[in-house]
Amino acid sequence: MKETANNKDYALLSYHHIPGVHNLEIFERAGGYETMKACFEKDPEAIKEEVKLSGLRGRGGAGFATGVKWGFFTKDRKAQKYLLCNADESEPGTFKDRYLVEKNPHILIEGMIISAWALATQKGYIYIRGEFYQQAVILERAIKEAYAKGYLGKNILGKGFDFDLYVHRGAGAYICGEETGMISSLEGKKGQPKLKPPFPAIKGYRGLPTMVNNVESLAAIPWIMKFGAAAYKQWGTEKSPGTKLFSISGDVNKPGVIEVPLSTSLKDIIEIHCGGMRNGNKLKAVIPGGSSAPVFNAEDAYTVKMDYEDVAAKGSMLGSGAIIVLDETRNMGDVLKWTLEFYHHESCGQCTPCREGTGWLESVFKRRDKGLAHKADIDLLDRTANSMRGQTICALADAAAMPTQGMIKVFRQELEAYVVAPIKK
Amino acid sequence: MTEKVNLKWNGQDIQAEKGSNLLKAALDNGIEVAHYCYHAGLSIAGVCRMCMVEQDGVPRSFPSCNATCSEGMVVRNDTPKIKAAVESTLQFHLLNHPLDCPVCDQAGECGLQDYYMTHGKYDSQMIDKKVHKEKVQDIGKNVMLDAERCILCSRCTRFTEEVTKTNELGILNRGDHAEITVNENLKNDYAQNLVDICPVGALTSKDFRFKQRVWFLKEVPTTCIGCETGCSVKVSQNKNGSYRVKPVYDHDVNGHWMCDDGRNIYKHVSSPTRLSNASENINNLFVPVDELGVQAKVRGLKAKYILSTGLTVQEYADFFSNIKGSKAEVALYTLPSQGPEFDGILRRGDKNANLRGAKAAFEQAGFDSTQVGLDKVLNSISSNDVVYVVIPEILYNEDHFNTLINKILKAAVRIALTPGETLSTLRAFNYLLPVPSFLEKNGEIINFQGSKRKLTAGLSYGETSKDVSYYGKWVNV
Amino acid sequence: MSTTETFEFNAKNMTTYKEYLTRYDDVESALLPVLHLAQEQNGWLPEHVVSYISKLMNIPEIKIKGVISFYDMFYDVPVARNIVHVCTNITCSMFGGREIYQGLLTHFDTGYLTPTRDGRISLQKMECLGACELAPCMRVNNDFVGNLDLTSAIQKLEELP
Repeated sequence: MKETANNKDYALLSYHHIPGVHNLEIFERAGGYETMKACFEKDPEAIKEEVKLSGLRGRGGAGFATGVKWGFFTKDRKAQKYLLCNADESEPGTFKDRYLVEKNPHILIEGMIISAWALATQKGYIYIRGEFYQQAVILERAIKEAYAKGYLGKNILGKGFDFDLYVHRGAGAYICGEETGMISSLEGKKGQPKLKPPFPAIKGYRGLPTMVNNVESLAAIPWIMKFGAAAYKQWGTEKSPGTKLFSISGDVNKPGVIEVPLSTSLKDIIEIHCGGMRNGNKLKAVIPGGSSAPVFNAEDAYTVKMDYEDVAAKGSMLGSGAIIVLDETRNMGDVLKWTLEFYHHESCGQCTPCREGTGWLESVFKRRDKGLAHKADIDLLDRTANSMRGQTICALADAAAMPTQGMIKVFRQELEAYVVAPIKK
Repeated sequence: MTEKVNLKWNGQDIQAEKGSNLLKAALDNGIEVAHYCYHAGLSIAGVCRMCMVEQDGVPRSFPSCNATCSEGMVVRNDTPKIKAAVESTLQFHLLNHPLDCPVCDQAGECGLQDYYMTHGKYDSQMIDKKVHKEKVQDIGKNVMLDAERCILCSRCTRFTEEVTKTNELGILNRGDHAEITVNENLKNDYAQNLVDICPVGALTSKDFRFKQRVWFLKEVPTTCIGCETGCSVKVSQNKNGSYRVKPVYDHDVNGHWMCDDGRNIYKHVSSPTRLSNASENINNLFVPVDELGVQAKVRGLKAKYILSTGLTVQEYADFFSNIKGSKAEVALYTLPSQGPEFDGILRRGDKNANLRGAKAAFEQAGFDSTQVGLDKVLNSISSNDVVYVVIPEILYNEDHFNTLINKILKAAVRIALTPGETLSTLRAFNYLLPVPSFLEKNGEIINFQGSKRKLTAGLSYGETSKDVSYYGKWVNV
Repeated sequence: MSTTETFEFNAKNMTTYKEYLTRYDDVESALLPVLHLAQEQNGWLPEHVVSYISKLMNIPEIKIKGVISFYDMFYDVPVARNIVHVCTNITCSMFGGREIYQGLLTHFDTGYLTPTRDGRISLQKMECLGACELAPCMRVNNDFVGNLDLTSAIQKLEELP
């Protein structure tokens, strides 16, 4: 995949054009790990403050300010605590973290070491989804290189600071991307989310304070620390500062990962960065933030700016920045059916409204397959989705309900026609 | 003293300990809150989503089982928002439930039925195929599993993980294919608690299954006499007999649980072979006899009494008062230990329900309650004696008891005072006289902690007007 | 299952197992990596493997079984030597992922996870594999293969040993 030319100037993919940058030596030659070394000379509190000032928002999907989250973490530097990198990336449509770490694992490791220094965590884990086997190998190799250079382990660079880092592979469960599900999974259990409170920053992995941050958030730290919060804020908006990785797939000519300033228009992303619509077809709809984000029709898609607030104002969410582009040949019934099959398959089964609700949502499409569905089933779908919202330990039920209700809102007629349509054999 | 805080639940003022569980506070204050997964004896799962509340100043609703009480808290679960949510959530619970209430033993005490009355939608929207799971499995220890009825509240798996630490049960798979699964048949000694804590009919008692509809039963609160722990229990009865024993929460003694042995303590009470009349042993057949006739046979003989450790404090007191001034000799038969001294949960090896009460009464009356005392009485038995032996209500070790029986054979008349069945062991006696069982008398016993535990009389199935102390009066005939 | 079947880590994996333990502050946390390792050695995770791990790590069997059943990539049924994950999520389905999955099942005359008769291939319908730019895509053992059609998918899989 080709980067757009200006990626070099951005925070995350600035090394990606360098051949072999996954090797520590090449990464360092390009300036890698310099920021880490500089940070060891800084007061950890100052690092936290800088991250807070940068306004960096968690890139996993929720968009919660990283600096604020760090602020909830214990300041007791001696206390046993963990840094957990969320590389479970499983929101359908998302592949930015994979792209980031497979080419440049060291930017994440550097970000984690700086974060560990700031937060005084003695151990860190990169929880990577089981499907990303080769990426786990790449990360383990890079970690080994970092250990060899003394950037990881005991008494790092003689600073009296210890930080061990390991890769932990998942085994195929979407819900492990939820931070408490991930903690359960790391504990050797089913990846079922935990009740909050307590929050992981207070009681997380093994009941100890645990900071969970997304790959992209952690990978942004070196740039922020190198150039400062003010420089980071040159991009984006007041509430959505910085750059963001977007994973674009579907009916565009050049699907892939791009880094652009937040608030870049979706129209530009499709037309400039992704080479426009495939086969010259007309845009019909866009899922702007992963499969749990409510769908945009073409009009909203062509006017929305990709920042947290504008996407929300138009009734969807920026989520993980996974953009699925759909052209006029696509049937929204199919898209919703595939989406609901996914959530049904991935519900962890703990909370009743989600366990039963995700199956029930999909059942409308099973009725269709038997020729038993009615137009009115779309109302049932809407009501069922509505009653799942805000009722469960984690957001999976909402993640199934939101795109359902969003799809009904925007494409009701098409869905009604879809569910009563005779099935092609 | 723990600090009390004041809070409001649906406008009602309630008090609770600061930091204590919010749902428990409501329940303890008599407020009905629908819940399935919460159990005060287990960790918090927070998965059934039935006990949701709204709190002033908190934007999102949350399950009250995962909240703690603080001063001035104002919560409601009667808002339209919460009511609608609970209605929907109950509907989700019922989605894949088989609705086989007519053949389900839980009917009448089922959480699904109970809450459907208040939170039901009464309008089925379900036409789709339900997810089917295995219906009837004998999973050992008298417990039957119907996975289809299960609502995955996880109380049972938390019980086997946290209380017994035996881990026989688990939940396998994800989503609506998640299913209670038995790794190995139940092996813990507390398995019947699983039946109690299951809020629906997924785990039922093989023993109780199909025997009675629960609404035909009355419950008698009493104390288990199975060992010196003295757990608070309730026994379900009707005029035909007793059907089950369940634990009653008791903070100081048994908490929420009881052991499986205790579940059987009622069985002799309404057994068909329960001794109900004074009987005479004629060639090893027990034939009803007039009690006065028996009384005539002991006239002039020296009375020797061997009491059991299962009588009430009052019975001991009355007995000793009745023999006061006589030359009667009295000893105490103590049941031998069974199994470990303490199993780490509730069950104790010492099976003497009221050993402490017996000892105190013996001491006060000037009798020796020890084995030495017993041996002395046994060794002194001669053909001038009448020996009264109070048969232990639950005889764990018949062989041990038989060694005692063998030593009374010299006595002219041997009388068994029994609250139980006519066991073959009793053939050594000339006469059997019925006394009330623990379920047929009011009184107190003293448990291992030295605390007084109450016995309550339920319905009578045997002769209950004359207890052991009554036969103390025979000493002077 | 025959009770005579036994499993234990080979020497190399035993060393790896011990190394895994050093990564975590408790034994339980090593369960996922240990299950990956055991599956690598045994192909799948039958009862006797569960029971070995249970004893090795002092984790109740039912917990291990719960974990295995929870994750799509742990197998409690026998699988073939090559595992093929076919993505059927949104983007891949847009480009025929479902038809490819069905076509492969037909071509290899098999079902979900059922090993082909020659024991070569197990096909698994999977949710989003995180490689949507390659849609429709699949994972062949540990590698992504993208921009497929049924013909190229069959061809790729026929090359497998």
